[in-house]
Amino acid sequence: MFALNLIHRPELVPEYIDTDAQEGQAEQLSKQEVVGESLDIFRLQQDIAHRNGLKTTIQMTYASLYNDEACEIAKEHHKQFGDEIGHTFLGVNCKEFREKYQRKDPAIWLYTMADKKRIVVDSFERFNEAFGFYPTSTGSYFMDAELIAFIKEKYPMVKIAVATCFEEGPKVFRHANNSWYTVMDGSPWTAWVPSKKNVHAIAESEDDDLGIVAVPHLSRDLLAIMDNPGDMWGTHPQNIIRGLNYEDDRLPYMYNIVDHYRVLKEQNNGFSYNLVYVGPGWMGKAGRWEAPYRILKKSYEDFLAYYGELKKQGEVVDMTMTEFADWFRQNQPRSGPIVGHWKDIAFGTKNQAYWYADSRFRVQVDLKMGGAITDLRPYASKLSRPCGAGTEANQDASYPYIVQSRYRAGPFVHYAGEGAIKSCKVRYNGEEIDLSSCRTLGRASQEGDVRVLTVKPVTVKLRGLTIDLATTYRFAPNTGVIEITRRLTHVSEPGAKIEVDEFLTSCWGTTEYPEDMSGCTLAINGSGGQQEALTYEYLSREASVDRAVSVEAVIPRVQTKVTLTPQGEVDRGYYEEGYSFAPNLKIGVVKTIGLNEELVTCLKVEQAI
Amino acid sequence: MSQGRTGDINYRCPICLFREIDYDLLHEPEADQFYCRRCNWEGDELEILSLYSIYKQRYKDMLKRWTVEDIRAKDEADWVVNDR
Repeated sequence: MFALNLIHRPELVPEYIDTDAQEGQAEQLSKQEVVGESLDIFRLQQDIAHRNGLKTTIQMTYASLYNDEACEIAKEHHKQFGDEIGHTFLGVNCKEFREKYQRKDPAIWLYTMADKKRIVVDSFERFNEAFGFYPTSTGSYFMDAELIAFIKEKYPMVKIAVATCFEEGPKVFRHANNSWYTVMDGSPWTAWVPSKKNVHAIAESEDDDLGIVAVPHLSRDLLAIMDNPGDMWGTHPQNIIRGLNYEDDRLPYMYNIVDHYRVLKEQNNGFSYNLVYVGPGWMGKAGRWEAPYRILKKSYEDFLAYYGELKKQGEVVDMTMTEFADWFRQNQPRSGPIVGHWKDIAFGTKNQAYWYADSRFRVQVDLKMGGAITDLRPYASKLSRPCGAGTEANQDASYPYIVQSRYRAGPFVHYAGEGAIKSCKVRYNGEEIDLSSCRTLGRASQEGDVRVLTVKPVTVKLRGLTIDLATTYRFAPNTGVIEITRRLTHVSEPGAKIEVDEFLTSCWGTTEYPEDMSGCTLAINGSGGQQEALTYEYLSREASVDRAVSVEAVIPRVQTKVTLTPQGEVDRGYYEEGYSFAPNLKIGVVKTIGLNEELVTCLKVEQAI
Repeated sequence: MSQGRTGDINYRCPICLFREIDYDLLHEPEADQFYCRRCNWEGDELEILSLYSIYKQRYKDMLKRWTVEDIRAKDEADWVVNDR
């Protein structure tokens, strides 16, 4: 099943058209003309969908609930085409809203909890007045667990919500000239059942189930997203145009991304998902940035025509959001796992990424970095992190990382050593190579429930010795454990042995800037029961214990414990404390191996009490 | 120098774009020049378009169609484990 949710909203006064009108631009549009144009765009989007035989979810905005014409269109399209009349908190910042609330925030997640509750009740009751029933789907760019829990308590009929924008974090914030406060990295990239503790995290049980199916605002490119703003890389033709990944009206990339999501079916027991949600502001007659209306419109027509063609071929099933929620609940496991092995479809490279998520973590493996883990979000911690005015997080709605190799340096870049990364080094006769400098490829497979990433063996030259080292990741769903195998499959000199150093350099945060590591603890557990340990004080302390049975670190600010446990005897385990110029912690295990020998290590991520 | 306004086409600063920042250029009609308020770039339309074309060079597959079959097969030929 390749499922499509296609969403349109009658925003009435899209922010960009509104701004242009206020500044006297955009063909000198008056406010009334803006409303008219916006409804025209909505009608056009609906017409393009219906022409291609696709049903939509119409998300009614606050302002549109006060517009009889918008409500009538929604009713008519529900009746004629089976479109769902849903609800959204996008577009709350309209005249009616400002008059009632005397607030300017454009986004529900940025309000105080008291205001959020008022807005929910106000708009849901207004919805009921307009349509005679309550919506079963809602959404915004972000909705925290506390907001969704309130909605479920008050309006239990809600089954699904657009709950995040996948990886709209610091990269998108910067892209929008540090002015677009959608700072929300860390969620799954496809549909999931969120935890009661944090909407980003996947629920671990029925008790932990927040009661809705969550979907991301768009479906995004899982490779490009790693080092580019997400708002150029999704199932949104005009976002692709924003990234200049087009020539006149030719955007083959928009078909490529859909087809890559079709490929993801094979990695997820036959299921994949696309969400398409183009706001009316992207199809205004004044154009958007350099792109004229002609191209904005044609790109959308071509894009939906492709889904329409796929539908005719039986390759995609278009559903309303609520239909999808029902299907998902019946057919997909609550706690995942979800896998996304993604190949480059834009830059002309052989770069690949592998993503894995379940109720314990979200993991990103960068094959270009030798199969290093370059992003790790510890869902096991189930961090309570409400956002909005009056909260500590306020605008920063991201789920914190404990590894983020682009925000926090990753591989060795200067004399302070590596930044945050989970990688492996090999040593021979005093020379050392980090596998993250060995570009490679991956293959995704499944052994029973276990998701496997097989990394193509890399060839490394060390002091005249040539070796091949093979890496395999095994993810046993919802255990919090990643089993990592490093196997020596070739040595150019018979009998030669190399040292393999399996390590994790970790820190925590949500942005590029360091956070307080005080209070972290590091420990090595020896085979005789002895323990070497310290509490983090930025003092560059190090320790090593021969034949260690495990090494561990606790990062209390994110309530996370990580443990590296080798299978069998190893040479030693170690930790390194870090210091202010290198504000990380490092744990590792080292083993000397020869041909056809291996180091198997389990990386466990769990909640630290 | 008179008030800068968004031009008929709302170009973004090409130099800011290179560092992934969307920033609207302003147009000074007398000089028929565009300029950026954030960085120190200024130039005419032709310069904008030529810098955009350089920006697009990062997309080596910009006009390439990757179908499901293509994506499945992609990089597989390179998956030859070293035969020693």
